Amino acid sequence: MMSAYEIPATDVLPQVEGYIYPNELNLLWGDLIVLYPYITGLVAGAFILASLVRVFKVKALEPTYRLALLTSLAFLLAAPLPLLFHLGHPERSLQVMITPHLSSPMAIFGFVYAWYLMAVLLLELWFDYRKDFVLWSRYTTGPKRWLYLIFTLGVTDISEESLKYDARLCNIVTIIGIPSAFLLHGYVGFIFGSVKANPWWGNVLMPIIFIFSAIVSGIALCLFLFMIISQARRLKMDMDCLDVTAKFLFYTLIIAAAIESLDWIHRLYEAEESIHIIKTLATGKLFVSIVVIQAFLGSAVPLVLLGLIQIFKKDIAARAREWIYFLSSVLILIGVLAMRWNVVIGGQLFSKSLRGFTTYKMELAMASHEGFTMSFALVLLILPFVILWVFLKLFMPVEEPGPKGEPLTRAETSA
Amino acid sequence: MARKNGIPPQLVRLVLVTLAIIALYFTARYFMTPETFGQFGFYRGASLNEHATRPLSFAGKESCRNCHEEALQLVSQFEHKTLSCETCHGPAMSHVIDPETPLVKIEDGSCLRCHRSDPSRPSWLAQISLDDHYESDSCTDCHTPHQPNE
Ligand code: HEC
Ligand code: HEC
Ligand code: HEC
Ligand code: HEC
Repeated sequence: MMSAYEIPATDVLPQVEGYIYPNELNLLWGDLIVLYPYITGLVAGAFILASLVRVFKVKALEPTYRLALLTSLAFLLAAPLPLLFHLGHPERSLQVMITPHLSSPMAIFGFVYAWYLMAVLLLELWFDYRKDFVLWSRYTTGPKRWLYLIFTLGVTDISEESLKYDARLCNIVTIIGIPSAFLLHGYVGFIFGSVKANPWWGNVLMPIIFIFSAIVSGIALCLFLFMIISQARRLKMDMDCLDVTAKFLFYTLIIAAAIESLDWIHRLYEAEESIHIIKTLATGKLFVSIVVIQAFLGSAVPLVLLGLIQIFKKDIAARAREWIYFLSSVLILIGVLAMRWNVVIGGQLFSKSLRGFTTYKMELAMASHEGFTMSFALVLLILPFVILWVFLKLFMPVEEPGPKGEPLTRAETSA
Repeated sequence: MARKNGIPPQLVRLVLVTLAIIALYFTARYFMTPETFGQFGFYRGASLNEHATRPLSFAGKESCRNCHEEALQLVSQFEHKTLSCETCHGPAMSHVIDPETPLVKIEDGSCLRCHRSDPSRPSWLAQISLDDHYESDSCTDCHTPHQPNE
C-alpha cells in the first residue's frame, strides 16, 4: 500500500479540483450502484402500469397488462445483481437474510424484495396465468409441458367459478401491490435520502422523487417494449392503447418533473452553505448529464412532445404519433438513467469540505475490481431484456398453443 | 367442483406453498446460522477467540520500558512525548519477543507524514513546506528525533 504522501502529486492532481479530503479521491459507489435504482425503478413503474389495468380498470391499456407484469418480473430478477456484484461477495448476501438486523437497510431490503417478488408479482402473475397454464399444459408436449404443469402447482380447476375467484384474489394482490411497489422503490430513495452528511442526497423529498421518476421510466419502458414487440411480431399497432399509455406517461412525467423542479427551487431559495458547490457541479462537471440529458432531453422535450399530442391529437397522423411516442419513451429512459447517474455519481463528486471536486473515471479494463464490475454493468443492463425475451417466448407466445389464440391480448381481466 | 368446505383449491395450494417457503426459510436459518451467533451479542461469539489468537503487530509504549528506559525517559521530556514509539519505529511486537528482529529504517517520509504542510491539519501542529525548509539528505541530520528541537 502506498500512503497518501508517497503518491506523486502529479498523479493525483489531474482528477482533483480545489480542495478535497484524501478519502474522497476515489468514488466508492460506481456505475453498478447507478444501475441498481434504475432497474428497481423500472420494476416499480411497470407494475404501476399493470395496476392501472387491474385496479383502475383502464380498458385501453389491457394489451400492455401482461407485458408490463412480465417486464416487471424480468427486471426484478435482475435488480439485486448490481448490488451483489458491487460487493464482490455475492454469497454473503445470504447471511444478511439468515441473521437480519433491523437497523441494517440491506437486510430489510432483502425482505422487501422477497415480499415484492413472491407475495406481489409472482402471485399476481399466477392468478392471471393459472387458466393459461392449465390449458397450455394440455396442448404442449415435452419439457414445455412439464414447465407449465409445474407452474399450475397442481391445481387444474378452471371452472367459471374458480376463475372468478382468481380474478378477485388477483385484485386484492394488486391493491396490496401498489403500496408495495412504492415501498420497494421509495426504499431505494430512502437509502440516499437518509445520508444526512451529503447535501446532494440527504433530503426528505428523495424517496418521492425516486418513486415518480420510477413510474415514469417504467411506463416509458413498457411503451417502448410494446411498440418494439408489436413491430417484431408484425401486429397492427394498437393506437388506442398507445395513446392512453402515452397520456399516462405524460401525466406522471408532469408530476415527476414538477417535484424535481420543486426540489431545485427549494434548494436554490433555501441557499444552504452547500448550494454553491451544488450549483457549480450542476453547471460544470454535470452540465451535460443534468441540464442537457436529464432536464432538457429527458424531461422538457418529451413533455412538450407528449403535451402537444394531448392538445392536437386529432390533427396528428397515427404514424407520426407512433414515432413521437417512440422517441419520447427512449428519451425518457435515457433521461431517468441520467438522473440516477447524477444522484449516485454526482453526490460523490464534491468534497465534504464543499470546496473541491474529484472525477469519476470509468474503466472497462478487467484488471481492477471496479473495472471488472464495470463490464458487468453493461451485461446487467442487457440481462433483464434477455430474461424478458425468454418470458415472452414462454408466456406470451405468438401462437398460443391450443384451439383459440389471441396474441398480446388477454381474455378476461376484470371478470 | 373440487371445492372442499367452500375453500377454493388454488387458495389451499397457495397456503401450502407459503407454509413451505416459510418452513424452508426457518430450516435454512437453523442450519446456516453460525453456531455461536448471538452468544454475547449480534455477532458470532467464536469470532472473539479467532481475533484474539491472531498474531499481534504492535506492542505498545510500555513494553519498550524494560530494555529502552532511557529512550522512553528522553522522549517523554520533549515535543514528541505524546507519540507512540511505534508510530515512528513501526510495528515492534516481533522485536519485543526477539530483540534481534530489526525494525524498519526511518526515512524522511515518516516525519513528513505528520509535518508536511497541509491545510486540513490543525494549526498547532508544526508544519513545514519542503520547498523552503533546510536542504539536506535527511531530517535527522539536523533534528534529533527524540528531542526534535535540539
Ligand atoms: C527484550 C528487550 C527489548 C524490548 C522489550 C525492546 N527492545 Fe528494542 N532493542 C533491544 C536490543 C537488545 C536492541 C539492540 C539490538 C541490536 O543492536 O541488534 C534493540 C534495538 C532497538 C532499536 C535500534 C535498532 C537499530 O537498528 O539500531 C530500536 C529503534 C528499538 N530497539 C526500538 C524498540 C521499541 C520501539 C520497543 C518497544 C516497542 C523496543 N525496542 C522494545 C531490546 C529490546
Ligand atoms: C518522531 C519519531 C520517533 C519516535 C516517536 C520515537 N523514535 Fe526512536 N528513533 C527515531 C529515529 C529517527 C531514530 C534514529 C534512527 C537512525 O538514526 O537511523 C530513533 C532511534 C531510536 C533508538 C536507537 C538508539 C537511540 O537511542 O538513538 C532507540 C532504542 C529508540 N529510538 C527507541 C525509541 C523508543 C523506546 C521510543 C518510544 C518512547 C521512540 N524511540 C520513539 C524516531 C523516533
Ligand atoms: C505521528 C506524527 C509525528 C511524526 C511521525 C513526527 N512528528 Fe514531530 N511532532 C509531532 C507532534 C504531535 C509534535 C508536537 C506538536 C508541535 O510542536 O508541533 C511534534 C513536534 C516536532 C518538532 C518541534 C516543533 C516545534 O513546535 O518546535 C519538530 C522539530 C519535529 N516534531 C520534528 C520531527 C521529525 C524530524 C520527525 C521525523 C523523525 C518527526 N517530527 C516525526 C508529530 C510527529
Ligand atoms: C539543515 C538542517 C535541517 C534539516 C535538514 C531539516 N530541518 Fe527542520 N528545522 C531546522 C531548524 C534550524 C529549525 C528551527 C528554526 C526554524 O523554524 O526555521 C527547524 C524547524 C523544524 C520544524 C518546526 C517548524 C516550526 O514552525 O516550529 C519542523 C516541524 C521541522 N523542522 C521538520 C523537519 C523535517 C520533517 C525535516 C526533513 C524533511 C527537516 N525539518 C529537515 C533545521 C533543519
